[in-house]
Amino acid sequence: MQKNLYWMQCGGCGGDSMSLLNHDSPDILEALSILNIEMLWHPSMSNASPRNHRELIEKITSGEQPLDILCVEGSIIRGPGGTGMYDLFDGKPKKDLVSQMARQAQFVIAIGTCAAFGGIGADGEVESTGLQFHKSKKGGFLGENFKTKSGFPVINIPGCPCHCNTIIGSLQAMIYKVPLALNEYNAPLEWYGIMVHQGCVRNEYHEYRVEENKFGERGCLFFHLGCRGPLTSGPCNKKLWNGLNSKTRVGVPCFGCTNPDFPQSQPFFQTPNIVDIPIELPAGIDRAHYLAYKGMAAAAAPDRLKRRDTRI
Amino acid sequence: MSEKKLVNIPFNRVEGDLEIRVEMDGGVVSDAWCSGTMYRGFEKILIGRGALDGLVITPRICGICSTAHLTAAALALDMVAGINPPPDATRIRNIVLMTEHIQSDIRHAFLMFAPDFLNTIHKDCVLYDEAGYRYEPFKGKTSVEVIKETKNVLEIIAIIGGQWPHSSYMVPGGIVSVPSVSDLMQCQLILRKYRQWYERKILGCTIERWESIKNAADLQTWLEESKEHWKSDLGFFIRFARAVGLDKIGRGHGSFIAYGYPGSKEIEQSQSIPSAGFATIKEKYIFDQSKIAEEVDYSWFQDYKDGKHPFEGETHPYASGKEGKKYSWGKAPRYDGFPVETGPMAEMIINQSPLFTDIMTRNGPSAFLREMARLVRPTILIPIMEKYLEETVGDGKFYIAPESIIEGRGFGLTQAGRGCLGHWVEITNGSISHYQIITPTAWNASPRDSKGIRGPIEEALTGTEVKDIENPVELGHIIRSFDPCLVCTVHAVKKGQTSEPFRWRLTL
Repeated sequence: MQKNLYWMQCGGCGGDSMSLLNHDSPDILEALSILNIEMLWHPSMSNASPRNHRELIEKITSGEQPLDILCVEGSIIRGPGGTGMYDLFDGKPKKDLVSQMARQAQFVIAIGTCAAFGGIGADGEVESTGLQFHKSKKGGFLGENFKTKSGFPVINIPGCPCHCNTIIGSLQAMIYKVPLALNEYNAPLEWYGIMVHQGCVRNEYHEYRVEENKFGERGCLFFHLGCRGPLTSGPCNKKLWNGLNSKTRVGVPCFGCTNPDFPQSQPFFQTPNIVDIPIELPAGIDRAHYLAYKGMAAAAAPDRLKRRDTRI
Repeated sequence: MSEKKLVNIPFNRVEGDLEIRVEMDGGVVSDAWCSGTMYRGFEKILIGRGALDGLVITPRICGICSTAHLTAAALALDMVAGINPPPDATRIRNIVLMTEHIQSDIRHAFLMFAPDFLNTIHKDCVLYDEAGYRYEPFKGKTSVEVIKETKNVLEIIAIIGGQWPHSSYMVPGGIVSVPSVSDLMQCQLILRKYRQWYERKILGCTIERWESIKNAADLQTWLEESKEHWKSDLGFFIRFARAVGLDKIGRGHGSFIAYGYPGSKEIEQSQSIPSAGFATIKEKYIFDQSKIAEEVDYSWFQDYKDGKHPFEGETHPYASGKEGKKYSWGKAPRYDGFPVETGPMAEMIINQSPLFTDIMTRNGPSAFLREMARLVRPTILIPIMEKYLEETVGDGKFYIAPESIIEGRGFGLTQAGRGCLGHWVEITNGSISHYQIITPTAWNASPRDSKGIRGPIEEALTGTEVKDIENPVELGHIIRSFDPCLVCTVHAVKKGQTSEPFRWRLTL
């Protein structure tokens, strides 16, 4: 049975839509066709006339046109002073339209960190927030108790941008009624139950604590250059980007962009340390054991790694 | 006497970030106002953050041109650090930046601009059905191919920078990755594949054949020379644009700027790359960034006297939506006091492309010429990228570590897909104390300045004849020819009615 989808852009950069276009095998057009999704509206792809678009919105918000899936990209801008006047649609705060649309949809997906948690602007004068979380706190724009017509909370697919497989995969699960377990931030464990660190080709450097102190050295970026990979969940090193790579694989630290506090307040590209040991250790680790293990591991590091012979 | 009325008409493929209001006098636009609907406060978010944080935060301004923001941010920090990256790092930075451009140029032309050919206002055009066959969203033959091929060429960015969009692999002193010999070879293959597709499908000829076109007469000869040229998407674009008169609308002020691409003595010896400049239709001048200033007389920001250079710039938004004559979240950037347009056509004129200079001299700027410049910009960039890929030494030197960045100021100027992008940063005690950004769309979609002079898009709309004010697709063509980095809305109100506050996502 065909399902329809309405895609809204709010306080964002459109990067998640760009990420979606990266989907390969099937590409985005093939995927929509296979999943039998009718794209009622996407701001950069649709060609409906403006009048038709306005009529469509009226029909959806009045309940005359059933809406299966609402995708929201970008944060909900509430500023200044809660008015929402920093982001308007048709002369009215866009946040009001989000609220009306969300109440009509069977499923609501927060696409990207801004829509999920507020992201860029969550601490700023634009008063951004996520659909059902404000950073790590439940609530956000729609409130903790919000449920869609089919009884689900907003499904979060964080990332800046989120990976295209998480978007298509979530849509597929909704359409094929595949149950997806969610984590504490209502993000599917399927993609957010693994760490960015897992699958990083620099794992051997981490294993033996061969560190990168300055860029381009080839080493683990966790100890000095601010890599958040061991503290951040996401499929970057499993599903890979553009089908072939990831930031950490080329020496760009993970910035923790799927985390509710992204962008972090501490400076990027540096790891807060005490005596050369990061203050924050990989998620779920016992500090004393980790320190003992890393001391021994560094001593055991193979020469080829210490010499950075490998092309990793 | 003709009746004047104000018109605010919605535009398609819109989420309402840019709104245009026009005053109609009879069937002709007598005045226009260009305003934005979103303020995101980036310049203020950056204050107090770590010195390098612009490399992570600013690409998030725009998902379409995140590499351009990264480039500008890195160049500004190079200047603060007083460091020249190794030549191969500059080559790689440019390869990645140009990859973003050659995909964006083609996506814009066929996924954003050409779908307006399907507007019913053109239904009597003999080429109308064919336009539908080629450009219908989600289905058109060209649209489908463009989505596949532009996705593939972005793999170059992922090989170097890990992912697209939103990587931060450029840093002051170079790049963090160390592309290997096989990485560079893989990039060559991907680029070659894109080039072959672009030549076959879009141009209908080789890049070399296209380069031999020096004037309007040559262009006509080329068009009629073979079935491949005539039926290529470029050939079709030229025929359709002429048939519906795109070459006669959207003139604008006729003043242009370009910042050029990041260079260095070493790489420029081997390669000529598009350079910076300020030009009118007749003259070209040396570019001087100190002549840039932003005014806020008509913008939703607290007033200051005269224009301010971005190093002195202020961003203090009004908390309310309405205030006197102000109508936009965008400031009004001016070069030496002039409103100037930027983008691929400006690049062509400033770099004295014989073909574009010839058409410009004969007919002036137009929506047609602006969009054609975008369509053929890859003919200039692809050969430069190929040369860089040949010259770059795999596993070589891509980074020089700078001293700690504690104090100082710098600017980074680059061509983004849509034209001039500049970042101005000041670092104090190791943190960002000042950050100002002027995007290409800030130049093009500028509101009026202190002298009341219209911005480039506003000016380009003025004087346009509109067949059906309920469906003003002519204005849509003009606005889209500037490729505003935002989806946009046109609204219409009759004169005398109170207009709603209108604003744009000027990205900042």
